[in-house]
Amino acid sequence: MKPTSAVVTDEALLQNLLGDISLPGNGTPLSVGVLATLGNPQPPAHCMRTCLNSRADAIESHGCPFLVAAAEGRVDDGCLKDGHCPRGYQAAARQIALGDKHAVVVTVGAPTHVDTVAHLFERVTQLLEENTGFAEEMIQNYEQLNLIFDLIPQIAELSDTRAIERLLLQKVRHLLRATSLCVHDSRGGWSWLDEYGEAGAPPPGLSAQQLELVASTVRNTSHIQVATQSEYELLAGALVHLDNAVNVVIALRPSRNGAFTAGDMMLTDSVLAFGGQLIRNNELHERLHALSFQITRALVAAIDKKDHYTSGHSERVGFLTRLIAQEFGLSAAELQITEWAGLLHDIGKIGIPETILCKPGKLTKEEFDVIKKHPRMGYDILKPIASFELVLDGVLYHHENPDGSGYPKGLHGDQIPLVARIIHVADTFDALTSTRSYREAFSYERAYEIIRQDMGKRMDREAAEAFFRAFGKFQENEPEKFERLFLQHREQTDDPA
Amino acid sequence: MSRILVAEDDPHILRLIAMWLKRNGHDVVEARNGNGARDLVVAETFDVLVTDINMPGLDGIQLIEAVVSTGHIHRGIVVLTNRWDHGEIRERLSQWDVRVIPKPFSPSRLSEVVDKLTAVDTSEAPHEGFVPDQSSLS
Repeated sequence: MKPTSAVVTDEALLQNLLGDISLPGNGTPLSVGVLATLGNPQPPAHCMRTCLNSRADAIESHGCPFLVAAAEGRVDDGCLKDGHCPRGYQAAARQIALGDKHAVVVTVGAPTHVDTVAHLFERVTQLLEENTGFAEEMIQNYEQLNLIFDLIPQIAELSDTRAIERLLLQKVRHLLRATSLCVHDSRGGWSWLDEYGEAGAPPPGLSAQQLELVASTVRNTSHIQVATQSEYELLAGALVHLDNAVNVVIALRPSRNGAFTAGDMMLTDSVLAFGGQLIRNNELHERLHALSFQITRALVAAIDKKDHYTSGHSERVGFLTRLIAQEFGLSAAELQITEWAGLLHDIGKIGIPETILCKPGKLTKEEFDVIKKHPRMGYDILKPIASFELVLDGVLYHHENPDGSGYPKGLHGDQIPLVARIIHVADTFDALTSTRSYREAFSYERAYEIIRQDMGKRMDREAAEAFFRAFGKFQENEPEKFERLFLQHREQTDDPA
Repeated sequence: MSRILVAEDDPHILRLIAMWLKRNGHDVVEARNGNGARDLVVAETFDVLVTDINMPGLDGIQLIEAVVSTGHIHRGIVVLTNRWDHGEIRERLSQWDVRVIPKPFSPSRLSEVVDKLTAVDTSEAPHEGFVPDQSSLS
């Protein structure tokens, strides 16, 4: 049966929906095809080839030549296009030739079908428009999602807040195809980035006053703002740091490249919100880290106040502990913990009476038993600090000897945690080479000799050998630091050995 | 205007990609599965094939295998793949010069890649692994 109506559309959904409909009355099928080439000099047959497969032949005989004729102005009877073009076929076909994506309904000799088709068409067009709306939204969501998926692994590799902020700004600048970008920080300072992400200058002709105005609006409302200023489009948003410190980010691009869209605003908003969250987390983390440092410093100061003789001892042992630990290939985090353990190893001495701690000359056995309590006391002092959990091993066991002759538990060899074995060597070396209330300092050579003789007995062999390697390298590579940390405190000490 | 064939079994994603590429000035032909896409490539020529990997029937990799030898894809192939098995898929695709974009895909990235492939400048050598159709490169 020959079709009496043709619907020509490039919308796949319309094709699918209308393609299966038979018109009431005589049951004539609708022909549905794609008209992508009306404005193209190609013969109609090519246009027909992209028609819905099953009805290609029907269209070929009825549809396309008809539309071509219409476009050329040779037809003007009963036809319509969706509401925009009531004047008929000819105009509708021309619209399509100009790239209008909407469909044309063509009726061939059966005007009674026009209403039915027109009604269906209207309905489907409506649905299509809704659908397009959803699709647009989805495209934007995809863009956002993607950006965030990309950002997460990149940011995860960064631990410095400034680096994270720089990465975010680069993303925003790229995303918005901005030619420059500036940040008005919470202290009122301006910084500019050029299109390569390098430090730049403001583009000429911008009014600083107006930029301030945009920045303060964003600061007060926390909402994304767009503005136009002397041939530049501005998009401004807030990047919120800890303590509500707001950095206002302003992206600029020349107006001839087009205004910023609602999509640009949404994307920027989500990147800045997400990025702000990451930055605040990172800042919190940095603060906690700093707090740990400060607590350590405060505790070390407490030991030094108690025992003047050991002044500087904690610092040197902390330093040596890290130096030796580096020989064991530990991670940065492990090295940090190890250094803290070295710094705090004698914290328990706070609990030892000064009369014993600072007593000149030899200690009695009873007095020495009191001194031997300091690792346990140190352990008890630090135990409540959860983030020092790994420091405890070093503090508690730094007087254990591999041959089992140490205290408090008399552990052997590998039973002693590595951090404690390292501290033991560092502590012994510094004690030997420092003046004590009961004796003068030993020379370095004598101290090395004592440690070497003790290897495998009171000194862990591995840790001691690591110490010789690391300390040798240190003296050679950093003579100034060596002088400041080790030699100055020995200046007045004559070698008694 | 470049002719782009999009093979994707999810009708919504297919519609989304088609809409986006059309808006960026391309002529888009849609295929709802690998078999349909292969038939189209055998019969016609395209500048770019954009394909999903997981499809019923011929999957994306089999589709690429089938179409590369026809020489009917002139400029290049873009593969959209699930972000989570991205690495593995990349490996399997390494024998061909294809662009891989993780899903959910970034629309702007897709058009960037397609635009680059279809850019007017043809001075660049044809991609390795393709048998270029000489008649279309003139």
